[in-house]
Amino acid sequence: MRITVTRTGGFAGITRRATLETQGRPDAEELAALARSALAEGRGEMHMVVPDGFVYEVEADGDKGHFADPRLTEAQSALVRKVLKEGT
Amino acid sequence: MDAHSERTACTQSVHPVFCSIVPPHVLDHLSRSGDPTLYEPARRTLEHDALQRTRRRITTVRMTAAAGVPGVTGEDADKKPQRTISDAAHREELPGTKVRSEGEEPTDDASVNRAYAGLGATFELYLSVFSRYSIDGAGMPLDATVHYGRNYGNAFWDGERMVFGDGDGEVFRDFTLPVDVIGHELTHGVTQHTANLAYFGQSGALNESVSDVFGSLIKQYGLAQTAEQADWLIGDGLFTDRVEGTALRSMKAPGTAYDDDVLGKDPQPATMEDYVHTGSDNGGVHINSGIPNHAFHQLATDLGGHAWERAGQIWYDTLTSGDLTPDADFAAFAGATVSAAGSRYGDGSPEREAVLKSWSEVGVTPAEA
Repeated sequence: MRITVTRTGGFAGITRRATLETQGRPDAEELAALARSALAEGRGEMHMVVPDGFVYEVEADGDKGHFADPRLTEAQSALVRKVLKEGT
Repeated sequence: MDAHSERTACTQSVHPVFCSIVPPHVLDHLSRSGDPTLYEPARRTLEHDALQRTRRRITTVRMTAAAGVPGVTGEDADKKPQRTISDAAHREELPGTKVRSEGEEPTDDASVNRAYAGLGATFELYLSVFSRYSIDGAGMPLDATVHYGRNYGNAFWDGERMVFGDGDGEVFRDFTLPVDVIGHELTHGVTQHTANLAYFGQSGALNESVSDVFGSLIKQYGLAQTAEQADWLIGDGLFTDRVEGTALRSMKAPGTAYDDDVLGKDPQPATMEDYVHTGSDNGGVHINSGIPNHAFHQLATDLGGHAWERAGQIWYDTLTSGDLTPDADFAAFAGATVSAAGSRYGDGSPEREAVLKSWSEVGVTPAEA
């Protein structure tokens, strides 16, 4: 699975984007499950953007979701942190 | 990000005005529904009853005992902040555990103490300069949470409290470090309770700019600086050593605050000629804020002296005049500043002339009031 996270907004207004390819990673299945959970939990939700809050767009295998701080679920938070840290 | 892949809807008739990122298909559906309740914000500001509050006589923390800066006098002398700092302990749950309340001694946690002092400095500027009693003008308690999240490089206003991360360890340091960042966040609360500028597009950039303006004034007031002496930087000290840059934004010279291999170059425009059209960042609220930021800087340096005295007063009058609609654009805001300057200093006053000149310098034509 190819997971892309784009983070916009924030106090600095600086956009960060990273993509993580799970194929070949020992935690591939875990990551794919995390991505599916994160996207499922965000479906149909309207995310309020608070002043200076980060906004995230997550794309995984053609599925797309939008989340906004400070109301990320644990899966969403773990996913965006992982991809922004370890993705390229 | 593809600017067209993201749509944003703003609530404008309720309080506070927040915007929501909505997938296009959901937005399309909502726009057909015609049901205004679908645009209601998920959360509302808590209404606090000022009469229920305990007023404690404590000493407001100031960065310095600023010489020549008037303190709080008269009936306002009884008005004190009511601060509470909580610790999220690196989790993303709010508010976290209460660690310092009003009047309590400093803790051994520098972030807690900086947030406490910054809230005090912000409270004092609003009260002593603009006679505004806290964020809502009615003594609202000031709440902040520090140590939010893990390696969290941001600070935000959630509609009720300020939230600070410790920095990401790569680009950003602790967000409680610059006092103008603390003042910026609290000013989002002031805006929410006054002009309630919608956080998208030009009104969003104005919302951001107002926070930068008063954030900078809080720093200048604490240091007793004149407009000439002030650095007009937002977030000075926030970048780690590995970043090529001095601060996040420069009101004096928008677009010059940083130029870094990883972060890129400060994208802020100083004039309308370079206005950035984008769907990201709620329509570039942190980018195009450079234009009204620079107009304020031009006004303050033109007038000279302490920026909070006349330039700041004109901006504060504008914010609280009731003349601004939540969707005000740059021209409407500029028009309101011209009216505010005329009301306070006279229609033929040098202050009003200086306001007109400052907007002209950034390419904004003030709308007729």
